Amino acid sequence: MSFLGRSGGSSTGVNPERVEMAVQELDMITDVFNRLVSSCHAKCISTRYAEGDLNKGESVCIDRCVSKFFEVNKRVGEKLQSMGGNAPSGQSAFGSL
Amino acid sequence: PLVAPVFPAGKEPLPPGISEEERENFLQAKKYQDYMTMGMESCAAKTVIAGVGGFGIGAFFSLMSSSFAYEDPLLRGHPSGELSRTQKASEVFKEMGRGMWRSGKGFGKVGALFAGIECVIESYRAKNDMVNPVAAGFVAGGVLARNAGPKAVLGGGVAFAAFSAAIDL
Repeated sequence: MSFLGRSGGSSTGVNPERVEMAVQELDMITDVFNRLVSSCHAKCISTRYAEGDLNKGESVCIDRCVSKFFEVNKRVGEKLQSMGGNAPSGQSAFGSL
Repeated sequence: PLVAPVFPAGKEPLPPGISEEERENFLQAKKYQDYMTMGMESCAAKTVIAGVGGFGIGAFFSLMSSSFAYEDPLLRGHPSGELSRTQKASEVFKEMGRGMWRSGKGFGKVGALFAGIECVIESYRAKNDMVNPVAAGFVAGGVLARNAGPKAVLGGGVAFAAFSAAIDL
């Protein structure tokens, strides 16, 4: 099971680690997406459904909600990064926030 | 839909019925369609549509009410012996056209003002509730009565706000 550069042209022996990383990244992206969708839906769309399309107010709200979510994510990540430079507990706490 | 966007760029799944070679055309068409939708939902488009609709309704009302108009041929400026029948008829129609244009302009202004202000308020608040049409009605009524003094501005604003609340209930 070691495809060290001889067969078919696929990547070399770090393959399982790469796959593992890719799977983790996929999980993280899916998790972020699901959180984003449910939190912006809870914030922006009222429970009284008068029609099926999004109103102007609701679509503006969703644009702002997504942009704020990513902004918050980025800022918290930066702070955690700077904190994680001082103490080694930065990395594992990030995914569970 | 309902799938997290975890595909590498350029390999997103196409909707059924479109083959791989038509992907570019599909993306182009989708881009133009998105622009169209965005344009239709923008504030400017809504103002224009409301203005044109208001103009049409005002012209229609004026057309209908001109048939009930009080008409006395002696009150017209011309001595009636001078004009032939077609000229008199064209005078009547021209008067009707002027009335339609005037009332259409008025209704169009009201509609465009109200729709534009409501769209701006809604974009600012990012909420869709009852406050938007009431506030927009207040501002629109105030603007329409701006030449008649401050009390008329307030009164007109309150009246138009109540009217727009009634139509939006």
